[in-house]
Amino acid sequence: MRPAARLLLLASILALALLAAVRLGAVPLSLRQVLDAVRGTGDATTVVIVQRLRLPRAVLAAMVGGSLAASGATFQALLRNPLAEPYILGISGGAAVGAVFAIALLGAAASGGIVAACALAGAVLAIVLVFRIAAVAGRALDTRILLLAGVVVGAFFNACILLALTFADADAFRSAIFWMMGSFGGATWRSIGLLAAAMVPALALLMALARSLNLLSVGEETAAYLGTRVERTKLLAYGTASLLTASAVAVSGVIGFVGLVIPHVVRMLWGADHRFLLPASVLAGAAFVVLADTLARTAVAPTELPVGVVTAFVGVPFFIYLLRRRAA
Amino acid sequence: MRLAATRLQSITAALAAALLAACGTGGDTGARGKAASAADSSVSVVDDAGRTVTLRGPARRIVALVPAVTETVIALGGADRLVGRTDFDRGAAVERLPSVGGGLDPSIETLVSLRPDLVLGWETSGRTELRDRLTALGIPVFSIKTEDTTDVFRSIRNLGVLMARQHAADSAAAAIRAGLDEVRASVAGAARPTVFFMVWNDPPMTAGPKTFVSRVIEVAGGRNVFADQAALWPNVALEEIVRRQPEFVVVPIGEQGTVRLEALKKAVGWRELRALREGRAVSVPAQVVNQPGPHLAEAARAMRDAIHPELRPR
Repeated sequence: MRPAARLLLLASILALALLAAVRLGAVPLSLRQVLDAVRGTGDATTVVIVQRLRLPRAVLAAMVGGSLAASGATFQALLRNPLAEPYILGISGGAAVGAVFAIALLGAAASGGIVAACALAGAVLAIVLVFRIAAVAGRALDTRILLLAGVVVGAFFNACILLALTFADADAFRSAIFWMMGSFGGATWRSIGLLAAAMVPALALLMALARSLNLLSVGEETAAYLGTRVERTKLLAYGTASLLTASAVAVSGVIGFVGLVIPHVVRMLWGADHRFLLPASVLAGAAFVVLADTLARTAVAPTELPVGVVTAFVGVPFFIYLLRRRAA
Repeated sequence: MRLAATRLQSITAALAAALLAACGTGGDTGARGKAASAADSSVSVVDDAGRTVTLRGPARRIVALVPAVTETVIALGGADRLVGRTDFDRGAAVERLPSVGGGLDPSIETLVSLRPDLVLGWETSGRTELRDRLTALGIPVFSIKTEDTTDVFRSIRNLGVLMARQHAADSAAAAIRAGLDEVRASVAGAARPTVFFMVWNDPPMTAGPKTFVSRVIEVAGGRNVFADQAALWPNVALEEIVRRQPEFVVVPIGEQGTVRLEALKKAVGWRELRALREGRAVSVPAQVVNQPGPHLAEAARAMRDAIHPELRPR
């Protein structure tokens, strides 16, 4: 299959996943009812369910899945470490500290928008902190030190969260745990617009860096010999992937597994050229998260499973299968 | 089992944690609109979050997300007005109804599909994501606090107005007061033992003085051994419980799987309590005692029977 055909295939899968997400939910609706509701005709309650609950939720899930997968692929190339994923450099910890402190300290004033803003601020703080530590320790940006700095800052933030939760009341405790489990339940066109404002330029920039990332994932010296401006590329890739992750975390909480595994799956199936890997990861990550969220909403409806549970329960067996098939 | 329910729900759930549910309120005009002219039948009540909630008329399609409030709706003769329930509601009156999931993290689309004209939700210290979202979808939400006995009486009165059942509300409140007075009278003159009420065993959590549980202990002729705590449901150190040596340890036992008394008697720390060694660890039915609703007097009776064994008829 040619790369263009593969991307087309992934795009079709994503389209089908989005259709399934709008079609299925806790309330059983017929295809006819869903189609009418999408057009805005038919029963008012059904229109609300489809247009204002299911549709924004599916779109947000797709965008977050795509963002995390692209960010994961970038971190894996940048850090030359197969364990790298969007949250490895402490971004999720920073975001969670922002969100949990907003929930625990602001109390009644902590609306969803303020919690998201504080999560974003916490994530950006983590990014700056990690970068400052890594940049001071060596003259150039040493990715090994970057990795260590990220893990240490993440551990520190986790301790802060536990500290805040120890003194939180029952309501704050529950809100914080819900936030950290991650969910697309709060999706609105507004949150979609905010994420899109970060996602579109970030993906464009990462695509522009794709060739440099190919060289970088071989080795920094090789990349430098072959004409890549290594320091600039590392800085841009780190900043872009980090901010993309931060925006995704701010609107949906921490959704695990996607950013780690989707790039590996794409690489195993179709190779590691970032000019293909990045867009393919975006599409595959989006489709995967949309399907996972649909399953999370319907498996034990009306109770919802945390989407991270579904991504891991479905993704882990598939990933093990791929690993073993490749080893054989 | 307020806390146990909370924990169970926090496992099964994914509540909205993202941006403001600022969708506006357009787009939902078809469902109603005819009733708008009947302005004189509209009902306005201030809820426990301090918001004025206005209904076009008395509530006819109600979903209560708080089990104790579901009980209140039924006690006011409104069982036929309930159109949904949570997974935590029990009883013949609600079992036939469709569930919306947990009370703190209901399935919003299931709620919407039931077309309620009133949702009775938890007042969760200003955490407003769920309420904002439902309000934006055109569903009136009335938030109810269920911490203290005064909350119970206020919610009965408010529900009476919202459902246009004021008389039923007055007599329900009077019946509870009479029941509580009767329990209070029955322990007059008796010794007032100190009571540790075990909300949770690990980490130990108890009921603070500002909770209905603490009031029920007082009415039932006991003293809350942690009446000096500021928090509603304080976590207390095991060694502090041992130091205070409460005369009774009261353990709510229910379907939520609270630890059994026998296991507690062998547990580290707990076995140092004289109350447990000397048979003054007593259980009360969680379904009755943990329900800050119309069965408050029953809760007081159960508590009295537990901590005043000497008053029981032989």
